[in-house]
Amino acid sequence: MKPVLLALTALAILLAVVAPGFYSPGNLRELALNNVAALLAAVAVTLVILCGEIDISIGSQLAVCSVIVGELARAGVPAWGLLPIAAAAGAGLGAVNGVLVSGWRIPSIVATLATMAIFRDGLRWATGGAWVQDLPAGFQWFGLGQRAGPVAVFSLTAVIVAVLAWSLRHLTAGRALYATGSNSEAARLLGLRPQRLVFGAFTAAGALVGIAACLNAVRFVEVPANAGLGLEMKAIAAAVIGGAAITGGRGTVAGTVAGVALLGAIGTALTFLHVDASWEKAIQGAIILAAVAGPAVAPSFARSVRAAR
Amino acid sequence: MPRADAWRLAAILAIEAAVFGIASPRFLTAANGAEIVRLGTELGLLTLALTCVIVSGGIDLSVGSLMGFSAVLFGWLVTDRAVSPLAASAIVIAAGAVAGALNGTIITRFGALPLIVTLGTYSLFRGLAEGLTGGVRNFTSFPERFTFLGQGYWFGIVPAQTPILAAAILFYWALLHRSVIGRALVAIGHSFDAARHSGIRVARRLLLVYSLSGLTSAIAGLLYVARVGQAKSDAGTGAELLAITAVVLGGTSIRGGVGSIAGSLLGLSIIVFLQSGLRLAAMPTELAGILTGAILIAALAAERRRLSSSGGGEPRRAGRTVAIAATAVALIAVAIHAGLGAARSTRAITVAMMPKAKGDPYFVSCRKGAEEAARELGVDLIWDGPTDLDPARQTDIVESWITRGVDVIAVSVENRAALSTVLRKARGRGIAVITWDADAERDARDFFVNQATPQGIGDAIADQTAEILNDAGSFAIITGALTAANQNEWIKYIRERIAEKHPRLTLAVIRPSDDDRDKAFAETQTVLRVYPQVKAIAAIAAPAVPGAAEAVRQSGRTDVRVTGLSLPSLCKPYIHAGTAHSIVLWDTNSLGYLTVRVAAALRSGALTHGASRLDAGRLGAIEVRRDEVILGAPFVFTARNIDRFDF
Amino acid sequence: MALLDASSVNKSYGGVTALRDVSFELRGGEVHALVGENGAGKSTLVGIFAGRVPPDSGVISIDGVPVTDHAPSSARAHGVHAIYQQPALFPDLSVAENIALSLESQSPLAPVNWRRRRLQARDLLARAAASIDPERTVSSLSIAEQQLVAIATAVGARARVLILDEPTACLSAPEIDALFALVGELRGQGAGIIYISHKLDELPRIADRVTVLRDGRRVETREMAAAPAAELIRLMVGRELSAIFPKQDVAPGATAVEGRGLGCRRTGLHDVDFTIRAGEILGVAGLIGSGRTALAQTLFGLEPAEAGQILLGGRAVAIDAPATARALGIAYVPEDRGRCGVIGAMSVAENVTLTDLASVSSRGFVNREREDRVAEHSCERLGIKTRGVRAAVSELSGGNQQKVAVAKWLSRGARVMILDEPTQGVDVGAKAEIHRLVSEMAADGLAVMLISSDLPEVLGMSDRVAVMAGGTIVGTMNRGDATPEKILSMSLGGMRQAGTS
Repeated sequence: MKPVLLALTALAILLAVVAPGFYSPGNLRELALNNVAALLAAVAVTLVILCGEIDISIGSQLAVCSVIVGELARAGVPAWGLLPIAAAAGAGLGAVNGVLVSGWRIPSIVATLATMAIFRDGLRWATGGAWVQDLPAGFQWFGLGQRAGPVAVFSLTAVIVAVLAWSLRHLTAGRALYATGSNSEAARLLGLRPQRLVFGAFTAAGALVGIAACLNAVRFVEVPANAGLGLEMKAIAAAVIGGAAITGGRGTVAGTVAGVALLGAIGTALTFLHVDASWEKAIQGAIILAAVAGPAVAPSFARSVRAAR
Repeated sequence: MPRADAWRLAAILAIEAAVFGIASPRFLTAANGAEIVRLGTELGLLTLALTCVIVSGGIDLSVGSLMGFSAVLFGWLVTDRAVSPLAASAIVIAAGAVAGALNGTIITRFGALPLIVTLGTYSLFRGLAEGLTGGVRNFTSFPERFTFLGQGYWFGIVPAQTPILAAAILFYWALLHRSVIGRALVAIGHSFDAARHSGIRVARRLLLVYSLSGLTSAIAGLLYVARVGQAKSDAGTGAELLAITAVVLGGTSIRGGVGSIAGSLLGLSIIVFLQSGLRLAAMPTELAGILTGAILIAALAAERRRLSSSGGGEPRRAGRTVAIAATAVALIAVAIHAGLGAARSTRAITVAMMPKAKGDPYFVSCRKGAEEAARELGVDLIWDGPTDLDPARQTDIVESWITRGVDVIAVSVENRAALSTVLRKARGRGIAVITWDADAERDARDFFVNQATPQGIGDAIADQTAEILNDAGSFAIITGALTAANQNEWIKYIRERIAEKHPRLTLAVIRPSDDDRDKAFAETQTVLRVYPQVKAIAAIAAPAVPGAAEAVRQSGRTDVRVTGLSLPSLCKPYIHAGTAHSIVLWDTNSLGYLTVRVAAALRSGALTHGASRLDAGRLGAIEVRRDEVILGAPFVFTARNIDRFDF
Repeated sequence: MALLDASSVNKSYGGVTALRDVSFELRGGEVHALVGENGAGKSTLVGIFAGRVPPDSGVISIDGVPVTDHAPSSARAHGVHAIYQQPALFPDLSVAENIALSLESQSPLAPVNWRRRRLQARDLLARAAASIDPERTVSSLSIAEQQLVAIATAVGARARVLILDEPTACLSAPEIDALFALVGELRGQGAGIIYISHKLDELPRIADRVTVLRDGRRVETREMAAAPAAELIRLMVGRELSAIFPKQDVAPGATAVEGRGLGCRRTGLHDVDFTIRAGEILGVAGLIGSGRTALAQTLFGLEPAEAGQILLGGRAVAIDAPATARALGIAYVPEDRGRCGVIGAMSVAENVTLTDLASVSSRGFVNREREDRVAEHSCERLGIKTRGVRAAVSELSGGNQQKVAVAKWLSRGARVMILDEPTQGVDVGAKAEIHRLVSEMAADGLAVMLISSDLPEVLGMSDRVAVMAGGTIVGTMNRGDATPEKILSMSLGGMRQAGTS
């Protein structure tokens, strides 16, 4: 988790010197709100990664849940009912992955590769690509208005992430997730039922993605049918940059939050630094590689420095 | 590969062949076989390379991005540096090997997981391709002896790529199954530690396999350029996942050690058959994704079941066989039903109509008009196209329509050079060809249904922007993807118009939205902060206008307004609220309607060259200018008139 | 009444019978040894007790109450704890948490008390005589330390039935003493202990009774006092073993391999000097972590030497990778057979030729007929029992797998053979065969380094014995001078003896 903080600090200092406008409260607020979906998705994928699996279908899940939220709102479901329904819909999609991985024992990368295509293309087939429009006035910001709405969305996200971070550290179930990811056979011998935990992680991840879809959708007055393209790669990258081990058992929500902060800020920071937008992806790739190679390079670098003295 | 797996895959393939053979009599023909080889070559090369990578216990997510990088590098060398295509190809292939070696080096030197390393280079290679071209450069007009590789035929029937694919298959088969290196890769895949303890040079072998993967991706990138006739940074997008699907479907274990080239080729065939067959049967291409996913799950679930039953057995899973079988039967039944339905229809004429991207709301609206006209005229309308902007896919689909034998093909052209080649071929087979929305080369089609020229659009958007700014001030453009050819052309005309008519306007910045409303929203917010002098936003992609307008609305800035190109229905609330000043567009519904009308008239002989008017149903008499049917000038939607439109 | 009682237990895996009509009784306050050759059914039987393996038929009762729910969790609820050779721990979690996870059975939503966990871990580790910081992650512990953590856990859980599966295989003498003391303490508290071991000589120190399994059947249960080692071996194999350590006398040749001042910072190896002559067996004894495996890894290029020199046939060589070592004719049969020695999923032939694919290939392509011939020859020479050279190695018994791990290297004519715990976890019959092989290698002129924790094996096989401690060789002696007591005192004291070469 250290390299990501280092990179984040470096970026923060650079921005403070070159483009202090980045730190205007308005910009920070917008940055935070724009990354709500990515943050929840990255936390969701962290849950799955912690137990040693991976989920590359979350972008597709987000698209499906967004359209479900929109259609229900249009059908007259009140604003307060949308969030639980979105979570339930997401949990349902996540449970499909959970069954394939923990029940049918299909490697998660393959299972979610398949569901990624099925969810996304299924949605395209169903909607024909049409957006959900003519939503009721109370849809945007849950009807709370431009002032209270963003506060509600952001606080809700912060509370969810904080509760998850706390639960992973301090609840028996959270520790069981780490145990399963660290050594699933040992977990089985302890009677922890790793299959159930893996299923639970996928389902919970789905629910989080559902919530992300809902909180993202209510920022607008229409719901597009192609949301979340490429979200899975961004979320996995954020988790890995934040120190999660793809092999399971290692990683924290705090690290993932830092990873999202770094990846989320890069795009905006480039504009503030007047760098051409077309380099954004290359920089993201370089950050991921640095996160991978960095911990390995750092000690040997330190050693060579010591040796040189 | 275990024999049972091979038989199961062969059975799926046979079922596909049978289903599509019934659904479309053209499916089981030599010509279609040739097309399948053409479509399968690039994916096949990636599949072969990835088989070795996955057998060695790794994975390479960067192959698709490397195709994009290779395409751009080739285009730059040939176009800007005037390097001969042959020399450029050699350089590109070498660069591919180096890029692959980069993956291999990081993996072996730092002991990093291939999944993460190649996730990084997946972004890096694509990012380099976009950065070097600014995302917008689109290299075209390559010499014919190069494009022959992608578009030509040996002996009039064998696609030009065939020898390359065959050589690659032979090479990889010998490498993996017969050579000392292949044996080492299998050992490494089974157990990295045991391979090391056997004195195998593990790092060197892995470096080799990733370098080969990079080299092969570069070749695939070159073939892609030759096939579609253009080199852009988006080449090969998503190809990595499709190739991995083929490999895993072919029985290669994602955990390493187990796998075969023959299996991967079967997996590849299943995917390519599915895509080609669905197109020939005029079923929606989305089905390909859904069915591929379902087959993948069914195949793996069956394999797991076999493994678990041989290892002691877990009886409660016996029911799963039934579930898998039921899924398979249901899928096949759906396919047959849809297929037979399509085959049985004996309408007067069949019009195959293609948008640039099916999911785009703009084209969704065109489709409504097209279907209305088809109903009126009793025309059998096939509506299909890439789900997202994808020039290569458009060529594939037209090829399958030619094989299928439709009466009229109507295309909204994304990539002029490559599509013109295939459209000429269609005309050669006696199919009437029209273009709509965006034109091909003139000799490649009979008529162009012209809704508005890029210049007309560029001019209108520039004028609207000037209106917002009272002819002086700064504005920003939110475009679609940086690589989108259409938008880049509009931007060109916007710049020209400003230089000519509105010299006191300055363009502050151009930001991409990737056709994603949420991204357009975020980008606009940032633009408003960084460039406070910007008082007008020109958003020139359908989802970008509502995104930009929402950003302006939420910022509370009443001094900024949005204009651009989008659909009235998406923007109506913002137009009424005043955050969006206006949008520029034509009546998309009528565009679809008119296109089908033109198609029917062309086929029935009511429309011939030299005509000056066409009776177009509810649109009344429409002007025909030489070989163009003119819908009318772009229309500016404002608060005053927008409620009259429902698309 | 018996603490644990199993009657007429049957279990078969896909047609292969693992247990046939086995009955077993464990009393409270006893240590009950369970012995038998590999494949005799010991692991399956304790697997059933621990709830890992469901029996096909038969009744398991604890305190006279039949167990109906065969799951690890229910076994633990009955107080049955099992500790395996590779302790089933969570490498990414701290020691304290590892212990706590076994002891606490809470509802998923119960909060974790970290302070209590730390205190509890410190207390239990102290009782197990282990000075391990509870905050350390388990992945940073040695196998022996991990074993101690597992035992501390069982103590903390107040296990009523403790199953120890070869607990001393990786432990050094003082650690074994600490373990036995703990086991004695548990016995005193009324717990029953099932003790599996191949080291028959240590059983009288600890066991009260012993049960012998052979081919999935129970042969006999006796009081330990009435079961001398020779008798147990006879019961286990069903035949008398003539000579366990058939080392032939060979006149050693010139110096084949020599190390001068070898050191490697990563593994803690330093200042290692040794020589092995052709036809000589150098036994390497020492505690776990004394640098024995580190030395082997340095010689084989897995952990290249950072200091000193390696001389092969008098010529200095740089060994930077296993492949280099292989090319120089150095062979290494590693300790961890399943992970490093053989590849279970590949065939016998593929394993045997993996070290020397060049000899069975032409122009980079493998000639499968030649490969088959090489493999068949190896199977014949080493007496590997397999249904064919294209059978997967995982189908073979442990002893035969180990022979494949040796055959890999013999087939390519190595000059230096390093064997790391070659008979660990191998049954008695196969052990004798491996000893015969090692002896033959030396007779053929190979320089052999035999690393072993089994002192009788070292003493019986070696021409000279080097003792390692703290990352270096603390003394070397000839076979005639070496006694278990000397070796042990050198291992523990680490003092340098006169006559070190």
